[in-house]
Amino acid sequence: MDENRSNEKPRAEQFKRKPKRTQKGPNQRLRQRAAVLIMIILVLGFGAATARLALLTLVHGSELQERAVDQQLADTTLTAKRGTIYDANGNVLAESASVWQVVMSPINFEDKDDEERGEAAREAAARGLSEILGLDYENVLEKTRQKSYYTVVKRKVEVEERDKVLELIETLSKDYKCYGAVSLLDDYKRYYPHNDLASCVIGFAGSDEQGLEGVEYEYDKYLAGTPGRIITAQNAQGTDMPFAYEQNIASKDGDNIYLTIDQNVQSICEKYMAQGVAENNVLNKGVCIAMDVNTGAIKAMVVSPGYDLNNPYELTNEEKRKISSLPENEREAAEGEALSAKWRNKAVADTYMPGSVFKMCTAAMALEEGKVTEESIFVCSGSMVVEDKTIHCHNLGGHGTQTFVEAVCNSCNPAFIQIGQLVGIQKFRDYYKGFGFSEKSGIDLPGESDDTFWAEGTMTEVDFAVASFGQNFGITPIQMITACSAVANGGYVLQPYVVSRITDSKGNVIKSVEKKIKRQVVSNKTSERMNAILGYNSEKSGSTAGYVAGYKIAAKTGTSEKIGVVEKQSTFEEDYISSLCGYAPADDPQIAMLVFFDTPSGKAYYGSQVASPVFINIMTEVLPYLEVKTNYSEEDLKYLDTSAGDYTGLTVEQATEKAKADGFTVSVKGYGEKVISQLPGVSSKVSAGGNIVLFTDDESKTETVSVPDFKDCTASDANLIAAGNGLNISFKGAVRSGGICTAQDIKEGENVPPGTVITLTFSAASSEGFND
Amino acid sequence: MCSPLNRRYFYVRLSIETQLLVQRSRAHTWVRPYTKKVNTQSFPKIMTVLFKKGSFADGAAAGSTALLRIEKPKGGNNLAPNLKMILRGDVNRVYDHRYKHGQNAGDQKAMPKEDKERFFVRPSRQRKMKNAKWFAVGMGIDLPFCIIILILLIIGTIMMFSASYAFSYYTQGDSFFYLTRQLIFIGIGLAAMIVLSFFNYNKLHKVAPFVLGVAYFTLFLVLVLPSGEGGVKRWISLGSFNLQPSEIAKFAVILFFAHWASKYYNLMQLPKYSVLPGVIVFGTISGLLLLEPHYSGIVIVGVLTVIMLYIGGMKTKYLIVGGIVLVGIILILAVSGGLSYAMSRMDGWGEALSAERGTDMWNDTWQTRNSLYAIGSGGLWGLGLGQSHQKFLYLPEPQNDFIFAIVVEELGLIGAIIILLIFALLVWRGITLSLRAKDKFGKLLGIGLTSQIGVQVVLNILVITDWLPNTGISLPFFSYGGSSLIMLLAQMGIVLSISRTANIEKQ
Repeated sequence: MDENRSNEKPRAEQFKRKPKRTQKGPNQRLRQRAAVLIMIILVLGFGAATARLALLTLVHGSELQERAVDQQLADTTLTAKRGTIYDANGNVLAESASVWQVVMSPINFEDKDDEERGEAAREAAARGLSEILGLDYENVLEKTRQKSYYTVVKRKVEVEERDKVLELIETLSKDYKCYGAVSLLDDYKRYYPHNDLASCVIGFAGSDEQGLEGVEYEYDKYLAGTPGRIITAQNAQGTDMPFAYEQNIASKDGDNIYLTIDQNVQSICEKYMAQGVAENNVLNKGVCIAMDVNTGAIKAMVVSPGYDLNNPYELTNEEKRKISSLPENEREAAEGEALSAKWRNKAVADTYMPGSVFKMCTAAMALEEGKVTEESIFVCSGSMVVEDKTIHCHNLGGHGTQTFVEAVCNSCNPAFIQIGQLVGIQKFRDYYKGFGFSEKSGIDLPGESDDTFWAEGTMTEVDFAVASFGQNFGITPIQMITACSAVANGGYVLQPYVVSRITDSKGNVIKSVEKKIKRQVVSNKTSERMNAILGYNSEKSGSTAGYVAGYKIAAKTGTSEKIGVVEKQSTFEEDYISSLCGYAPADDPQIAMLVFFDTPSGKAYYGSQVASPVFINIMTEVLPYLEVKTNYSEEDLKYLDTSAGDYTGLTVEQATEKAKADGFTVSVKGYGEKVISQLPGVSSKVSAGGNIVLFTDDESKTETVSVPDFKDCTASDANLIAAGNGLNISFKGAVRSGGICTAQDIKEGENVPPGTVITLTFSAASSEGFND
Repeated sequence: MCSPLNRRYFYVRLSIETQLLVQRSRAHTWVRPYTKKVNTQSFPKIMTVLFKKGSFADGAAAGSTALLRIEKPKGGNNLAPNLKMILRGDVNRVYDHRYKHGQNAGDQKAMPKEDKERFFVRPSRQRKMKNAKWFAVGMGIDLPFCIIILILLIIGTIMMFSASYAFSYYTQGDSFFYLTRQLIFIGIGLAAMIVLSFFNYNKLHKVAPFVLGVAYFTLFLVLVLPSGEGGVKRWISLGSFNLQPSEIAKFAVILFFAHWASKYYNLMQLPKYSVLPGVIVFGTISGLLLLEPHYSGIVIVGVLTVIMLYIGGMKTKYLIVGGIVLVGIILILAVSGGLSYAMSRMDGWGEALSAERGTDMWNDTWQTRNSLYAIGSGGLWGLGLGQSHQKFLYLPEPQNDFIFAIVVEELGLIGAIIILLIFALLVWRGITLSLRAKDKFGKLLGIGLTSQIGVQVVLNILVITDWLPNTGISLPFFSYGGSSLIMLLAQMGIVLSISRTANIEKQ
């Protein structure tokens, strides 16, 4: 340190005393400035750096660490397979199948070494994906240019498309050195194999497999299962880090649901409801509910027209046209409205005025209270004055003097006003509650609506008078059928349900729904009496009150005016709801069914004309299917089909004898000795006393007869015509009591071999007997 | 051996400050005195230049190596301080008998052979190396400084490997990609350091303006060459090796001002000799860096210029005036709204944690945010060596500027402070050893090169902690990078070379 020594002052002294600048040597100045520099760099600079680090690690440490961990812990969801929905017999109504979704990490297209190669990879990916998935090339290309780590290209990709995408990924990594830009994730897609079958019950699941309507919504927590999770520490590209930090929670597949709905019953109901809606030009849908009278299980529930569950967002062309004619800002709202109207389960979510159908409840309560007997006499003069208001009967001429049973059959309003008055407002209200109209039925479907009834104390005599024949208050169809079941099953008000049991993915039963009796509203005795009365009504009124050949049906039709509608829609003077509620068999009720059509605008609007034929058609197929025991009256037997036996191979004499023994008439064609073929064929259904044609040689087979016109014939007329022409007929529909033929399966004028069976469809005559 | 006072001829080194520095026997083998002018008027009575680079010359004009004849004053104790100093030196050889009667003997080779060994002979290369010690007091490099460098290099390389292996694996397909390259760079750098530690740094005195010229040239060149990623022109690509002109510029600035200030040390008080060259050099270089753009380079060059001028002797008041002007400009910018624009241009400075996911700001601040996450995750004790999570591609290029974030994450605040302490030791030792250098140039150069490390460490940490905009300041000894690491080790070699002369007095 020669400089130091060269200075005469001792070193220590120099540092202690600060000499004036003029006295300072150049070396001294440097030394001091170097000291200042050290101070600045080490104290200020390093001090600030240390302080900042300490601040970040010690003060903000936990917060920053949390954010870092959030980022690092990739949480992969293992999708659980959504449960399957089965019908009562184990047929699949809804199930999920594996599909894939194509996702992109556009940031991984960036190629640091070769910008052009990155761009080429983008284009190749966009071209490939747009071709495979049927997307717009420009759109996909735009997605590849995003600076993000995750963007969905397409969801619900099927297996063939997935394989092609896998090839594309391979190509990208091979030809363009582009890794992890396009990838596939597991996904599930919901399939409804029967499209619109039971659409109002099943509902549908959204794109994320979340239930949105119906059972899919109501039982979402069972169906959805528990998605599993893999929590793994991951790097920014999403590949796993080498150190162990992984937690696996396996996914639990959704539970399977078995409905009480029977696919066959449901499809029968849907078939005829659709027919009824079309024939009567029903404007506001039709509803049909079939319920097991003794358990409350819903066998079928139809809202017609339904919608395609595989395409729930698809509107009809007409609706689309309507919406596109609206101004643009209203379109979205209109579309939403149209969709929700389409999805709405009218059977539980809408109320209607039950009309005369409700008379079965009024009658039951009057019987239960002992205010009337079957023989009680009521007089109807065509109208009745209650307080200052005149209430008309549908039969303006009046029904005159009638017994209670007749009043039910006549569906006489003044009589029911009197019956109601005998019961009294308070009792009436109690029974109203008792039948479950004032509470939700408790059915396991979403969106059940409340009834609309007069509040306690606000019900006037006039209100009461109209209420006693089912007008001016609203109940849901499901409440009505529940009350009807109560009338039928001995007075027990049941809780309706559509799900019979829930099993886990391995088939173990998790939950099994038993019938639930809420209360007994009328006695067994009253119920039996009501069954007899309503059975009598059906039998007497025939096809206008749901009579089905071979079965004892108890039914009540109803035609209610839609009061308070804002805008009349139908072609009639007023809008009507045509309904029929009945059950079978009357002596041992098993199945109850409500059929109603909201605002028919076709040729008729009476329940007996609109709802009854549909009811009969459905019941005619459903009751045999349910193996309800038949109980033919003698008249019925005339029209009962029997199976043709096998007469071929026998001699003409033997065959004739055998056929006659089976109850057929025989006509022999040809000149052979043995019967070589017969018409109708073996086991085909022929009405009793039908004609069996036996062919004995080939020439005889070429004979033909012309099919006559059976339209508007009664059953007996049809028999005569058929016999006259050497044809056979098979009856279908409301054959008895004034039913007339509305359709024949082989057209008039066609040439057919003699003995051919022509199926005739009968329905209620429109010219007589509206007992609403 | 007789006392030096009895000798008449000394082999001396002449410094530009007209001081005589006695070379020790071992030192003369390689130290080339830088002599332009010897004011022999200071020592009219005590010396005559006898021998100068193979030829005798009168006076001491433009000589490099010289033998001086000291005339012993009559009153032996009244020697001037400088003479005392000379006499205290360990004189190599004195061949006074040869020169007594050989005043005008020009050629050494012409001397009789039997006398040759008695004359001054330049030692051979082998002898030179034999005498130069690795670590020693005198002629050896400064041991503590060298050890600190090696410690930092070892820690730095380990951390570089730890920080880079995931990134390396995912981007290069080889975990050791960066490590192997860094080790090669370290090899080259250490070789450069060793060579330069034996290099006479005084030779740089002459080339200082030339080096500055090279810096300007490369700064121009990088602007002319096609731009790199994102339109930024910071590197000149030399095959597998990237040269960063700003690294050369930093060194050139230090070297130039060390040269300038040592040359005009007494005139540095005048603004003409201090402020003017400072403004010119910094202004032009920062202008070129602005075009790259390389903001951190501007900051570092600016700070280094100020440091060099300050220790070079510039009046403090100019510094204060400069500071006031700077604050004034910033205030004007802030008032006129220009500052927020400038700040917004700086890659989302200060917005790292408040940026919303998916926005441009989110992407721009990705690196800084993940750096903060890493630092925050480290806590007091860290996650442990190699246990960083953020290096798994969350923090892009964790081996580069943001390596210290991973260091903090793995070693915690404690580890970070220890590393900072080692850096502080390096800076302190570097500056203090430079102060002991035998000439002003060495002092200034040593201080400048050492403080560059300190400045870079501080700025780097402030960048990764989001107190400064993210503009690419590497962490010395830690960050991956060929040109900066080799340059850094070469500069350390120069400091070590300075330390060889600085240790002379320590006997």
